[in-house]
Amino acid sequence: MSSMDITFPAFDLRFMAPEIFLFLWALFVFAYDVTSKRKSSTAAGYLAMLGLMIAGAILAYTNYGQGYGSMFLFEPAAKFFKIIFLGSAFMAIGSSFGITKERIINHRGEFFGLILLSTVGMMFLSSSNELLSLYIGLELTTIPLFVLASFFKDNKLSVEAGIKYFIVGAFSSALLVYGMSFLYGLSGTTDLVQMKINIAMTHLTFKEIGVILVLANVLIIAGLGFKLSLPPFHQWAPDVYEGSPTPIAAFLSVGSKAAGLIAFAKIFVNGLYAFNGPEMAPNDWGILVGILACAAMILGNTVAIRQTNIKRMLAYSSIAQVGYIMIGMVTMNDLGIASVGFYIFAYMFANMGAFAIVAIFEERTGSCEIQSYAGLSHTSPVLATTFAVFLLSLAGIPPLAGFFAKFFVFASAIKMAQADATAGWLYWIVGVGLLTAVFSLYYYANIIKVMFFSKEASPYRVHYTFPSFGIVLIGIAGVIIFGLYPEPILKFASDISLSFGFLP
Amino acid sequence: MIPISAYLIVAAVLFGIGTVGVLISRNMIVVFMCVELMLNAANLALIAFSRALNIMDGHVFVFLALAVAAAEAAVGLAIVLAVYRNRETVNIDRFDMMKW
Amino acid sequence: MADYLYLIPLFPLIGFLINGLLLGKLSRSMVNLVACASVAASFVVSLLLFFDLKSLPPDSRVIEQVLFTWIPSGTLHVNFGFLLDPLSAVMILVVTGVGFLIHVYSTGYMKHDPGFGRYFAYLNLFTFSMLTLVLANNYLLMFVGWEGVGLCSYLLIGFWFEKKSASDAGKKAFIVNRIGDFGFLIGMFLIFWHVGSLDFRVVMEQAPIVFIAGSGLVTAICLLLFVGATGKSAQIPLYVWLPDAMEGPTPVSALIHAATMVTAGVYMIARTNILYMMAPDALMVVAIIGAATALFAATIGLAQNDIKRVLAYSTVSQLGYMFLACGVASFTAGIFHLMTHAFFKALLFLGAGSVIHAMSEQQDMRYMGGLKKYLPITYITFLLATLAISGIPGFSGFFSKDEILWKSFSSANGHPILWAIGFVTAGLTAFYMFRLVYMTFHGKERMDDETRKHIHESPYSMTVPLMVLGVLSVIGGWIGIPHIFGATNYFEHWLEPVMAAGKHFAPVHTAAAESGGASTEWMLMILTVVFVLAAIFIAYLFYNKRTELATAWRQRLTGVHNLLLNKYYVDEIYGAIIVRPVINLSLFLWKVVDVVFIDGFINGFATMYDGSSEFMSKMQTGRVRSYATLFVIGVVILIAYMVME
Repeated sequence: MSSMDITFPAFDLRFMAPEIFLFLWALFVFAYDVTSKRKSSTAAGYLAMLGLMIAGAILAYTNYGQGYGSMFLFEPAAKFFKIIFLGSAFMAIGSSFGITKERIINHRGEFFGLILLSTVGMMFLSSSNELLSLYIGLELTTIPLFVLASFFKDNKLSVEAGIKYFIVGAFSSALLVYGMSFLYGLSGTTDLVQMKINIAMTHLTFKEIGVILVLANVLIIAGLGFKLSLPPFHQWAPDVYEGSPTPIAAFLSVGSKAAGLIAFAKIFVNGLYAFNGPEMAPNDWGILVGILACAAMILGNTVAIRQTNIKRMLAYSSIAQVGYIMIGMVTMNDLGIASVGFYIFAYMFANMGAFAIVAIFEERTGSCEIQSYAGLSHTSPVLATTFAVFLLSLAGIPPLAGFFAKFFVFASAIKMAQADATAGWLYWIVGVGLLTAVFSLYYYANIIKVMFFSKEASPYRVHYTFPSFGIVLIGIAGVIIFGLYPEPILKFASDISLSFGFLP
Repeated sequence: MIPISAYLIVAAVLFGIGTVGVLISRNMIVVFMCVELMLNAANLALIAFSRALNIMDGHVFVFLALAVAAAEAAVGLAIVLAVYRNRETVNIDRFDMMKW
Repeated sequence: MADYLYLIPLFPLIGFLINGLLLGKLSRSMVNLVACASVAASFVVSLLLFFDLKSLPPDSRVIEQVLFTWIPSGTLHVNFGFLLDPLSAVMILVVTGVGFLIHVYSTGYMKHDPGFGRYFAYLNLFTFSMLTLVLANNYLLMFVGWEGVGLCSYLLIGFWFEKKSASDAGKKAFIVNRIGDFGFLIGMFLIFWHVGSLDFRVVMEQAPIVFIAGSGLVTAICLLLFVGATGKSAQIPLYVWLPDAMEGPTPVSALIHAATMVTAGVYMIARTNILYMMAPDALMVVAIIGAATALFAATIGLAQNDIKRVLAYSTVSQLGYMFLACGVASFTAGIFHLMTHAFFKALLFLGAGSVIHAMSEQQDMRYMGGLKKYLPITYITFLLATLAISGIPGFSGFFSKDEILWKSFSSANGHPILWAIGFVTAGLTAFYMFRLVYMTFHGKERMDDETRKHIHESPYSMTVPLMVLGVLSVIGGWIGIPHIFGATNYFEHWLEPVMAAGKHFAPVHTAAAESGGASTEWMLMILTVVFVLAAIFIAYLFYNKRTELATAWRQRLTGVHNLLLNKYYVDEIYGAIIVRPVINLSLFLWKVVDVVFIDGFINGFATMYDGSSEFMSKMQTGRVRSYATLFVIGVVILIAYMVME
């Protein structure tokens, strides 16, 4: 050891205020549920939503800055993603009231509390600037989700989902740590910004580290690919989405993916910044991720057409959506990261809304099969129409938000390919994206067809309950407003790119 | 001094054993044990690097990673328990109700 | 004053919108008022602008009004603008003036027709399109008007669309026109490609610079534009729609197929005179086709029995004269004949309409006869028009036709053979027109009693236009009296600025080619008049005095007669050579290429997609171990791939 001079890094808890608050609130929700007389079935849920709203308010007033050395960095990118995490948790809880009312009697507080804890983990993750805090945030995100996936202990599918999620998740987590260890070894630091510089310099002098870097790349991609459900690490997703409670599936599809995205962006776009592009082969992660993105788009869109369970279909569709997002991720220009942010934002509204409707329908009818939606437009026109709007946004139909999301992603890739001659492979990826986007319309439209154009009317008459209706309204509003007027969000998302060092 | 490569090779071997174990075992608990083995192999690698570079970051990382692994173990085993109560088996191959 | 130019097409457009949108809601008199008033307003404005134009000095007689930039796309810059120069001034006066008279006539003719409102809406739309065509200041806007009149022609020919022959005729007109339009478009593209603009003034200025006189390019452009003209103005080979167009109401035939639309081709060539003067080969083609059509159509007209068919072929023939004029570089004569023809041909058609109306819709002349005592006004006006078309001295047709004949003989682009063809056709024209007059108005009454009881002179709404046109047929030519009579040829002077630029390219030996000079001109004129009078006498003989002669000659020349009666079987030939193969090709393309290849390709693609989906979904076995295995395999493959690079 060197000198005994211990310098304390700056501890500043102010920047962590939303996380701390939400963490304490989660504990409060746990405690409330244990101690209260359980007269109201929805109190815990409303409490949780309240907590989220207050956390959001605190977030709005928190300044940018660095606390705890480089472990915690509050910057525009972090703020953007925290809003997404809070929003997705809010909408997930909001759509869960119906389902939890009957199925969970004794452990309601834990249900909501765990969701809040998972959100804390995500928020922590998005503020990390360092491998360690990134890993801890990631784990704090996933572990509650393991529990939540298997929350319906009596349901065979739910426990199966839980165990599958757990095993594959733990496995990938181990891969992730191993990969991180190599990165640490190569650069001598866990700080991402420092790592960026160190690895680049080491690579200049020792070309042989290339092999180890490849190993690190692939292992980390495997670990994060699990979170993102990127092929070939995607196979848990359909089963887990199908088995777990619908609001949890919703939360997984948006929040967990966004967490994976920000983690990926921090490690690769920030940490391994120099290693994108074919000239850095074999170390470039660009082509690697590009190939995986193509695989995601192709696989997700192809297998989704034969699904009969709506949650499974939405799982495959979200695999495909991640493919599109990754296109934005591999284009290393300002519009790229901004488009990633915009996409996840638009995706949040559409997907949470869609799952909310699935939850409503499931609560009323107990079924998640697509065929059971037949003729819904006759008996519940509002439900059918809103569902159709969400599906069309997912498919990328203008003037809904999903269209602009895809547009910006493709535009950023094309812009990069035009500006930089070595990035010609981006054209291929965009081509695959366009082609598969066309295919995807089939399975989205299939549901619309089943709802609107079936011969008989549905035997079910589904009404909205209050919180779910609010969530659906938020979803519709988001999808339509940001489809007509995407500029503000795009502008906000562009600020993210500043954090990664892209100048507009 | 033991060269760092020795540690790394041990770590790699452990990791490999763990991986193979995950792929082969049918008992959920054994699978999880192998996952823990993989995690510890990664921790070993971290410590080896940290030693070689003479900085403490790796050690700190391992501390926290161990804690996280413990938490994961707790949760995981709880899930295994719930699964067992529901289905009376811990044979992982029996859980294929959701497929294709 | 330039600011009012746009009103001229605007009034009929408003009329169309009012009558069209409020179809069925307006009373008959309201519809009449709107339709006629709009055209009358256009006429008044045209007249005022004409005088404005006249007050300008001759070499700067141009009023242009650009309303807005229509297409500002890259190098193509097209305005929506109107150009009033001496040529278009003549045209708008003819179109609005004759158009107004025909609108008034229609109020009487179509009084009992249920499709009344629709008729006037279409008629106004047509007037708007025609005015756009002649007032446009660039080729593209002119083409818009060109297509517009084609559309209205289709709508009005097939006005009684429940009748299959009418709707077929409408389709035929439109399709044959389209073939011509294709040539027009290619010509227009070539002009744009080389000149960079479609604006008339720009093209006229740039043409001598951009093109080489006599080159293949200019000739090609002129020939392509001429193809468009043959379609619209019913020349060989695209004239076949005009006789069938007689299925439409008679005023339509008068307006569209005699006075205005069919003259669009002549106008277009006169407008583009500079390019044609630079391409003497193209001019020769125009002249030859014009002359040939004139003769060809006249021969067919000899044998027709339907009164409107005779007039239709007569129109084709007279149009041939106009193209002949243009082809011998005498565009002024062509436009002059266009104007006089508008007067007397419209009158002839309206008169025929009056006859048909009186005869309870009977159109076959073999069942007419002796109508002159029943329909005096119709008879007198009709006779005036016939005298005009035959080229009797003093009438309008005489001056215009004579000028054409003289120029085709004497002009440097002319040839005595062309004169000869025109000369023979003049005689034939006189013959068949007087045959018509004699068969219809003179001689024995061959109609049945039922029809005879209903014969009545037409109401004032129909006879007053006849009278006005009658007067015009007589005096209309007096503004273009040729020099040899000692008077000033006002018409030629008026149009001179428009044709001036082209004169540079007139062949050098113009002066010398005025061979013979005045004496030859007198001689040819007198020869023609004598020939015409002889033809009239023969017609009198055959169809009035001793009608058995007609029958005898018909029987002697049965083969020839049948050939003429069946219009040389041209329609049947076209059907076999062109129409059938095209239909067969379409069937082939449909059944084989579309169904088998294209649909098969798409369906195959979808099947492939479905198959791959099935294949990929089998990967998801539901077992965690296989998930983890794929994980590891993925990692290994990726590492291997990256290391191999």
